[in-house]
Amino acid sequence: MTTSATAVRDEAVPVWAGRLRVHVKVAGSGPPVVFFHALSGLSWEPLLDRLAERHTVYAPEHPGTSPGEPRAIDEVRTFAELLLVYDELIGALGLDRPAAIGQSFGGMVAADLAATFPRLFSRLVLLSPVGLWRDDAPIPLMEMVAGPPENLAGYLFAHPDSAAAQAVLAPPADPSLIPAAIAQGAWNIGCTTKFAWPIADHGLGRRLHRVAVPTLVVWGREDALVPVAYAGEFGGRIAGSEVEVLDDCGHVVQADQPARIWAAISHFLDS
Amino acid sequence: MKVSLFAQVPYRYLPDGFEERYTSAVTPPYGLVEPGRVHDSLFSAYAELMAGARAGFDGICVTEHSQSSYDMSPNPTLMASAVAAATRAEGLDVAIAVLGRSLGKTREPLKIAEEYALLDVMSGGRLIAGFPVGLSYDANLNAALPAIETRERYREHRELILRAWTAPEPFPWNGKFEKYGQVNIWPRPVQQPYPPIWIPGTGSPSTLRDILSNDFAFVYLSWDGPKLVGREVFDRYWELAESLGRDRNPYRVAFLQVVAVAETDERAEREYGRHLEAHYRSGPGAIPGTMMAVPGYVEPAGIEAMLRAGGPAGMLARMRTASFRDLVDTQVAIVGSPATVADQIEAFVREYRIGNLLVMLQNGSMPRDLTEKNIALFTSEVLPRLRPIWDSEGWVNRWWPRGLPAPVSDTPVPDGPVPDGPVPDGPVPDGPVPDGQVPDGQVPDGQVPAEGSAR
Repeated sequence: MTTSATAVRDEAVPVWAGRLRVHVKVAGSGPPVVFFHALSGLSWEPLLDRLAERHTVYAPEHPGTSPGEPRAIDEVRTFAELLLVYDELIGALGLDRPAAIGQSFGGMVAADLAATFPRLFSRLVLLSPVGLWRDDAPIPLMEMVAGPPENLAGYLFAHPDSAAAQAVLAPPADPSLIPAAIAQGAWNIGCTTKFAWPIADHGLGRRLHRVAVPTLVVWGREDALVPVAYAGEFGGRIAGSEVEVLDDCGHVVQADQPARIWAAISHFLDS
Repeated sequence: MKVSLFAQVPYRYLPDGFEERYTSAVTPPYGLVEPGRVHDSLFSAYAELMAGARAGFDGICVTEHSQSSYDMSPNPTLMASAVAAATRAEGLDVAIAVLGRSLGKTREPLKIAEEYALLDVMSGGRLIAGFPVGLSYDANLNAALPAIETRERYREHRELILRAWTAPEPFPWNGKFEKYGQVNIWPRPVQQPYPPIWIPGTGSPSTLRDILSNDFAFVYLSWDGPKLVGREVFDRYWELAESLGRDRNPYRVAFLQVVAVAETDERAEREYGRHLEAHYRSGPGAIPGTMMAVPGYVEPAGIEAMLRAGGPAGMLARMRTASFRDLVDTQVAIVGSPATVADQIEAFVREYRIGNLLVMLQNGSMPRDLTEKNIALFTSEVLPRLRPIWDSEGWVNRWWPRGLPAPVSDTPVPDGPVPDGPVPDGPVPDGPVPDGQVPDGQVPDGQVPAEGSAR
């Protein structure tokens, strides 16, 4: 949920020949950073507050995940089209080679944008991205998405009972808002999994060598959704990339290890 | 009215307590089965459908589910094809309703157009073509298609199939999901322009609007019986029908009901009770709710309305622990003596204006001999009371198979007389067709019916 002292504004940016308006949450000032959210949709989380202290943060909402516009997802037919939409969006926002951060599903989006458009970004941060597949390290996406809700936290966090983890999954405090929040949350996953189902592999591994900007790959060693084996797969394919694996850390790295993640990201972006 | 026998193909020998350890869809471990008992389960289902056809049902109905212990029917046209051939050989004029191939699940819709057409030809124009979207677990987990595309696929696939059946010339198809250069299927349906189309659904407003707009039949294919959600769904249906200018023809509607008949109410409970409990607990009750609505399958407004109503309508969420008494009190299953059963069915049929009743007489572990008793008692004691329900209103069932068209060539069909027109829409005789008579719409192949076929 959006709980923030930062002033966040919503920009609805027309793209895709006017057929689509992508909502972008914008906050802060400084060098631009584009944040690509995970499967469950955008929530304005503490990491974005920290980023906004010294950057202008642009956090687009995946098509269809903006409340009241569920069928916007139909305007984007394929993952390749999604990449084109984001390329247009970054142009429409007037950004010149922003840094990009992507988490999980958003990591796949950011990585493929950087591979497809090598001059789009200046730097790339990938937080436990999906996008590759190894038979010896299956990613239980379907099991998580269609499984019992009580199992969800176990896929996402090293410490499902921690306050940070519980904050990510907490329903709205006002009970009357819970049905809409659950419905929106499920739909968001429907909109993102359209391009990640049942296996999030669009051939990214065959394009990653094209990534030509400084790249930081961060993984939690206890990631129960995308096994840590993939950290080396990304690192090995992107020349000159840094790989940082954190102990005692699950899939949502910024919830399990907020201080260390912030240190790694801020150091990388400032260097 | 028309009354048809509906069958699923459960594995009948699941271990006790199955539902406490496993799900009945997507992941039930195949290591639980004995291959010979899979054969027994499948062949019993076939034999019961044939027994129903011989006993006087107007039609037989099958459904599609993959990776399921409660319905081992990944392609129902296969079972339907066996019944179509055998009933033709025996001269049994029963409709073959496939309810159906799931159009939101298939990766090859043109194959469905071809299979249905072949079945219609082979059966002599007895096919009812069911076009369900498909359950979420089947479309989005088994077939692993993105949930959010399920209905888009459904719409494109149905349009493609109808065009493939009716286009006079080969045509290209540049769809979002399917692309072909020359669609020109052989054979095409013998029923013109195509077989009656029945759309199974659970009664959402958008589905009902689609059905009524296209003048298809609505099949309320729920596990819930008439009492829990019937009022809501059928009120919605008939109000919408009126607003769209449709008449109140009851044959627009088909309804599935689980029924178990014995000589007395007490005996029915004693004989069927444990099988019914086992069916609901280990079958529909063992499908997790999350598998019925993979994210993206239902729009946010639908989920929100469902949550505000306190959860899914009907019985599904409680079936895993349902007792016999729960099932009977809710009319999820209608169980008892012929009079008990006929009274309850007649009441809701009249109340909701149902012209096509589908009864499911085998459930879960129920063995073949008990099922055949159920079939015999239902057809002899209950069915005669139901048949004439709508006769006085004089409606035509435009959603019923029309049989073979009149021959137009000089080449005779060699094996017997060809009926000289469509099956009439009027009332169907109450009793079985006398031995040796060929019902309308049938082409007997000249063989003497085998044992058990004399009606």
